[in-house]
Amino acid sequence: MTLVMKAMLLLNSLEGFFFGSGKAHVVTGVALIILAGLALSLWRMDRRLTQLEEASREDTL
Amino acid sequence: MASARHTLRTASTIAGLEWQLEWRQGHQLAAVGLFAIASVYVAFQASDHNTTAAGWTAMLWLVHLFSGFTAIGRLFDRERTEVRRYLQWTAEPLGLMLGKLFHAILTTTALTAVVLGAFVLFLGWPQGMDDPGKPGLLVLGAWMGGLSMTTTLVFVSAVASQIRAGGSALAAVLGLPLLLPQLILATRLTRGALADQPWTMLVEYPLFLGALGAGTSAIACILFPYIWRA
Amino acid sequence: MKGAWNWTWKAGSILLLGYVILRGFGTPLQPGLVTATPSQLGIGTDTIILAAAGQPFAAADDVPSDFHVVLRAGDQLLKTETVEITPHSVRLAVNTPATLPSRALDAFVFTPAAGTLFLGNACFVEEAAKGDIPKDFRAKAPEERAPKLGFSFPYQPNIIESIRNLLWHVPMWFAMFFIMGLGFVASLAQLRTDNINWDMRAEAAVKTGLVFGLLGLATGSLWARWTWGAWWVSDPQLNGALVTVLLYSGYLILRAAMGDDDRVGRLAAVYNVFAFIMLVVLLMVLPRYTESLHPGKDGNPGFNSYDLDNSLRAVFYPAVIGWGALCYWMYTLRLRMNRHAYHLLSR
Repeated sequence: MTLVMKAMLLLNSLEGFFFGSGKAHVVTGVALIILAGLALSLWRMDRRLTQLEEASREDTL
Repeated sequence: MASARHTLRTASTIAGLEWQLEWRQGHQLAAVGLFAIASVYVAFQASDHNTTAAGWTAMLWLVHLFSGFTAIGRLFDRERTEVRRYLQWTAEPLGLMLGKLFHAILTTTALTAVVLGAFVLFLGWPQGMDDPGKPGLLVLGAWMGGLSMTTTLVFVSAVASQIRAGGSALAAVLGLPLLLPQLILATRLTRGALADQPWTMLVEYPLFLGALGAGTSAIACILFPYIWRA
Repeated sequence: MKGAWNWTWKAGSILLLGYVILRGFGTPLQPGLVTATPSQLGIGTDTIILAAAGQPFAAADDVPSDFHVVLRAGDQLLKTETVEITPHSVRLAVNTPATLPSRALDAFVFTPAAGTLFLGNACFVEEAAKGDIPKDFRAKAPEERAPKLGFSFPYQPNIIESIRNLLWHVPMWFAMFFIMGLGFVASLAQLRTDNINWDMRAEAAVKTGLVFGLLGLATGSLWARWTWGAWWVSDPQLNGALVTVLLYSGYLILRAAMGDDDRVGRLAAVYNVFAFIMLVVLLMVLPRYTESLHPGKDGNPGFNSYDLDNSLRAVFYPAVIGWGALCYWMYTLRLRMNRHAYHLLSR
């Protein structure tokens, strides 16, 4: 672990590797995109289920 | 109180029945013993008198585990169908479970003696050890580990016996992950006992094994009535 | 009215998680010392470079008057002279005496902006004889200053930037416990009432919980690789986590093996009750006891209490609520699917 740390610090000793290298923004962006995709698919599933439930309720009535 | 006495009477009847069944179908008991001894002999051939303590422990528990599976895995569906249906309608579930558990404990005790005996006879102690550091703890560990494996297996085979097809295969699938914690504790205990670690470091393992075994048997007893006449 | 609330909490969970992502990855880390080179010192003058991670602790090339670095041996302080400062390192000149109370030296960096940084056992002086530090070499303890860092996450040795995983790994397990607890209650109710509705709840809960359990395992494995250096180590907590996930996979296998047998609800409920009790024993009881008997086995004992400071708390609690609500949403979807399938089949 410390070896990895040392290598990263050497490569990027002035800035600090997580923020200085701009990786923080990439990680944030990817995580937000995944979250948005998940939310969208869950929302669509939810809506479709609501439609199905309504349809079957009308059926039985 | 009367019902508690009734339960105990059922338990002792069932245990007696199991015992008779075991002697009548002598081949089953013999099969388990044969399996255990043959496995130990294979381990002996493979090890060539150069076993480390870790290897010894691994082989001991592999043999113990699978012998236990063979012995206990069919505990709930070895009676003939008619006998089983009769028991289902007449026997009290808790008493039946206690009887089966008692029988399983006896079987495991015998099995532990056979497996450990065969290990010492064929393989001897691990390399560089004339004696294990703590023989008493080694025997206690093998016994307690076996018991806590057995009680879990009794529960699993009770669940699996309810399935019409492929029940015994399912018992293996469901049982193996459940046995991991017991096996982890048991292997650490065995390795520690062989390596002569101090008592203070090892004494927790038999306690945990005992607690796990007692806990799983208690849960099995509570839950069994729900599946028995489902 | 009911419909409005129905959408509010779902959208709220997503918004909370969005906040957690932005804050969790956007918050800088407090500075902390990582390494000292060289780690072996001789007697006499030498130069040491202390490297730090996290946000910069000083501006470059400017040695402020109240910036001090001292080394500590035993309970005595050894003075040093700061030569050069960069945002993530400080170079110092030190004159090591022939006698020290201890061969191991701890480093303290007193900064005006970032407070006191500490690195234990930074350097070793093999040749030093045991004795007091001579008067001329000693330093006076500088004044402690409160750090002025703004909103930032605490620095933990070994964990460093990976502390952000706290916002993923831990809430995922919490969500798994929560939903498995729900399944446990449903299974108990199933045993009591023999009503198929409870069985559908239990099945939905286990399926959702298993997803979160797998995510918890994956994030935990990543974290283990970074902090302990291996994808998997033999630790009571990890063993318990693996066994729990395997156990619940067994639940699904059991259901699949039963097919459309009408006793499936009862048998699955019995298995689920057993599985949840094992989960509590394996993840909450057993590790606590074995860890207390083998302390410091895995390098970061401070993390048992999560070392939550206020900045971390401000993101951690929303993360717990957000993941929990998302998990519950997924559970309700699964449950409604089960109900719909049952409805279609029973027509």
